[in-house]
Amino acid sequence: MSLTVIAAVAAAGAIAGGLGSLLGIGGGVFLVPLLHAGLGLDFKVAAATGLMTVIATSSVVSAGTAGRNLINLRLGMLLEVASAVGGLAAGITVERLSNDTLSLMFAVVTAAIAVLMVSRLDKRNVLEASADPGPLGGRFHDEDSGREIVYRVRRLPVAMFASLLAGAVSGTLGIGGGILKVPILNAWCGVPIRAAAATSALMIGVTAAASAPQYFARGEIHPPVAAAAVLGVLLGSRAGLQAGGRARVKWLKLLMAVVLAAVSVLYFKRSLA
Amino acid sequence: MNEEDVLGPLELRLGRLLFAGVISSALCLGAGLVLWVAGGPSPAANTILTTGLVILMLTPLARVVTSIVVYVRMRDWFFVGTTVAVFVVLLVAWVLKEL
Repeated sequence: MSLTVIAAVAAAGAIAGGLGSLLGIGGGVFLVPLLHAGLGLDFKVAAATGLMTVIATSSVVSAGTAGRNLINLRLGMLLEVASAVGGLAAGITVERLSNDTLSLMFAVVTAAIAVLMVSRLDKRNVLEASADPGPLGGRFHDEDSGREIVYRVRRLPVAMFASLLAGAVSGTLGIGGGILKVPILNAWCGVPIRAAAATSALMIGVTAAASAPQYFARGEIHPPVAAAAVLGVLLGSRAGLQAGGRARVKWLKLLMAVVLAAVSVLYFKRSLA
Repeated sequence: MNEEDVLGPLELRLGRLLFAGVISSALCLGAGLVLWVAGGPSPAANTILTTGLVILMLTPLARVVTSIVVYVRMRDWFFVGTTVAVFVVLLVAWVLKEL
């Protein structure tokens, strides 16, 4: 492993971390293709590195948003049961799966979510400030509107299934899986995008921690590569988090949809190659 | 105890815990990487880097354990159950080898 490769891994980490925290996703979705397609690392090594950066991003972003009531701890903990099981199952079985099939599935899912995001740009999922959020809902102060936001969680089984799926994809591809959960929590389960992103950011750390030890045991985590990527991501995600607090919700969604579409095209190409 | 009085501080406490985990991990990774870059691959550099990575992987686990303690104090048995379930899955991830 040359110094140039380590420096390139750190740079890829910084880019991925910045974009990831800005979008409320792990950043692994950018890092894994950069390491695999860009730098020619083995896919499993790229995925394992991605998982390490996902844990780092999750911890930093959650530490940054803690105290603003954006993280829904109860909902997050409940969904983590499903996402951790999905992550663990994927961490064990990933050796036996074909990368072409997984790339194709991933391309289809990201394309569908991109369409979903664009079609729901103006939906806010907000109740009156005096409303009862129920056992799993929440309330927080929205910096955009200066208002108190109250929401209730609907269709919990959908959220659980999405978390299981996101956990499985996370453990298989080395991404956070927030890319799958956040739009579903927002579009179908009534969770405002900021709360969905903050809760997901907390969850992806636990999800990745359920599959990373399996990669670690198989020797697929290369210490210098993972260290360079994690440090790069940490620097990038701090910058992204600061910018994210000021970005408009609508722009955040639009940007996310464009990014998802680009990821989808990339994975379609990979699955056909 | 009112639940809002507990969950707010819990969020802050978990935030501090995650921050401490990631900072100590980053210090190891930074030191290990400097050693690796300056002196080339060595057992010492590898040990420090691996320590940093293991700390990182254990940070979410520590967060889950803290949550269990808080939910037990709140006597919120449903969430004690869910948190323990997550904890068990994370433990299995460490001890399970090939199927």
